[in-house]
Amino acid sequence: MDSTLEKQIASASRSVEEARRMAYNDPARVGELVEQISVLADLRQKEGDFRKAESLYRESLFRVKDLRKPDPELLAGIHSLLAYLYDRWGKMDLAADFYEKALKISEQHGFQDADRAATIKNNLAMIFKALRQNAKAEKYYDESLETFKRLYGEQHNKVASLYNNLGVLHYANLDVDKAQEMHERALAIRQALSPAEIDPGDLSQTYINLGAVYKATGDFQRAEECVDRAKRLRTTLNGYTPLPRRSASLLLDRSA
Amino acid sequence: MREIVSIHVGQCGNQIADRYWRLILREHGLTESGVPKEGSSAAASNSNTEVFFHRIRDGKYTPRAVLIDLEPGVIHRIESGEMAQLFDESSIIRKIPGAANNWARGYNVEGERVIDQIMNVIDAAVEKTKSLQGFLLTHSLGGGSGSGLGSLILERLRQAYPKKKIFTFSVAPSPLISDSAVEPYNAILTLQRIRNNADAAVLLDNEALFRIAKAKLSRSPNYMDLNHIVALIMSSVTASLRFPGKLNTDLGEFITNLVPFPGNHFLTASFAPMRGPGSEGQVRLNFPDLARETFSQENFTAAIDWANGVYLSACALFRGDVKAKELDENMAAIRKTMNYASYLPSQGGLKIGTADTAPDGFASSGLALVNHTGIAAVFERLVAQFDIMFDNHAYTHWYEGAGVSREKMAEARDCVADLAKSYRDAS
Repeated sequence: MDSTLEKQIASASRSVEEARRMAYNDPARVGELVEQISVLADLRQKEGDFRKAESLYRESLFRVKDLRKPDPELLAGIHSLLAYLYDRWGKMDLAADFYEKALKISEQHGFQDADRAATIKNNLAMIFKALRQNAKAEKYYDESLETFKRLYGEQHNKVASLYNNLGVLHYANLDVDKAQEMHERALAIRQALSPAEIDPGDLSQTYINLGAVYKATGDFQRAEECVDRAKRLRTTLNGYTPLPRRSASLLLDRSA
Repeated sequence: MREIVSIHVGQCGNQIADRYWRLILREHGLTESGVPKEGSSAAASNSNTEVFFHRIRDGKYTPRAVLIDLEPGVIHRIESGEMAQLFDESSIIRKIPGAANNWARGYNVEGERVIDQIMNVIDAAVEKTKSLQGFLLTHSLGGGSGSGLGSLILERLRQAYPKKKIFTFSVAPSPLISDSAVEPYNAILTLQRIRNNADAAVLLDNEALFRIAKAKLSRSPNYMDLNHIVALIMSSVTASLRFPGKLNTDLGEFITNLVPFPGNHFLTASFAPMRGPGSEGQVRLNFPDLARETFSQENFTAAIDWANGVYLSACALFRGDVKAKELDENMAAIRKTMNYASYLPSQGGLKIGTADTAPDGFASSGLALVNHTGIAAVFERLVAQFDIMFDNHAYTHWYEGAGVSREKMAEARDCVADLAKSYRDAS
């Protein structure tokens, strides 16, 4: 195993213990404990020990719930972290359950942070897609897309991501025309972004998806063109594809 | 290093912990705050302290123990007592408002809220070991926290550490004295989990402990005396891990020898010479007497039906100054008096271990752990008590209200009835 990760885990464990001692003597300091626990849980997840990560997140969940006035934002955050963990673990129904709980909490307390709610909806949609509940998935994608459009306008990376995800969904539904439309929109946005904003990984993904769509329509020439462009982009990346780690980030459907 | 992590759950489990850790501290020559005593005996310095203790800064030792209770009472008493400085606060878990004597609350309602924290603390304790041997769990079968939460911990522990040994010391409800009406329910539900998830369980019952204590003490015994007996037994089970000896036995060896059939891992124990705290040194037994007292039927800690049953297996561990020749001669004589199951070798299995150091205050001591089919009587009695109430739907609403359906309860009942039958069949 990675020895730096091991060291990080050891030091995070010590901080958690110290925080536990503090919280034991002074229940008001549970907040710090929850923070330390999340750090450790995140490392555990990196290590691949999902069981330990799960029980750490769940400990902080119940610690927060035990407070006299649980902070709804914190609660929603822990729920979506847990959901993301279950998602990676392959426990899709639990993931859906926790994302929905997180959404419910944010809606009940009318969070200003519409971006986060939309992100959760996007991730939730991906889980429903994995569970083959495509109608539900489409609904959540649409809602998420609406929010992002309202927040950032049409010309934004996140909007493009949503178009991409919707495109993948339509493709899975064998609705190639709609899929093509979505991916073309995504491409249009991504190409128009300023060079600093362009994420070559995302752009190449769009080319690949678009290639698949053209292939399905029988337009092999354009399909090949797209795949070539994607390949060229990929070579500039040296095989490096940053994956979003925290649930706070917007997941991109790379399954096509 | 083969470390052991002790887990103490509920009021009963923590009261045992109180006596137990005092004893272990003295055996290893440590003060109540975990610092080595000045000029402690050679035996103590020769011991393997790291089995039960984790060494922290300044040469201080802290127990590899997790204390858990759903009510703060007993733990608070430990914390405010002499051992206030001993335990690591990060490994103490108390939650209010208690399981209210209801297994289902300990297992589902309150347990759900606290089990992850418990597992995190146990994981942290395990990470401080180099080569963990297993877990000791002390709890009662009759209460709410020890039984319900204890069951949940057993299940999760088995999932998380499938290859580690889990050894429980479980205080069973007494035949005559009863603390609460729902004890049979709690006990049956817990026994099912112990059968499925533990490697061995030593059944202790307060009535038997009371009887033993009363016979050996000149005054009427209190709970401290009873827990002291339990502590002596627990300390002896692990003695040869911690002290050098000619015949070493560890938890794994005990379990291999004591469990002839899967699931039939319910043991009873005996300790000799039984003396009250403080008066141990007054009597010095010769070895034949010690061996006889160790295997005397009155001396065992559970209400076993000795007449209608046979021995499946037995282990003995003698501590202190014991000569090999004496040991062989006397154990051969004792073996002959023991009534083993017909399909076992004529002399039966009798695993023997020795450790050079006797418990603090004793010149020598003996421990017996036996697997006897007469233990079926304990289960049959509980099942009978369970049936009377269950058939009349008495008290079951408390369990249904906390998420344990009547089907689940019946399932546990059948599991324990089956356990009793498998013991009877083995006779």
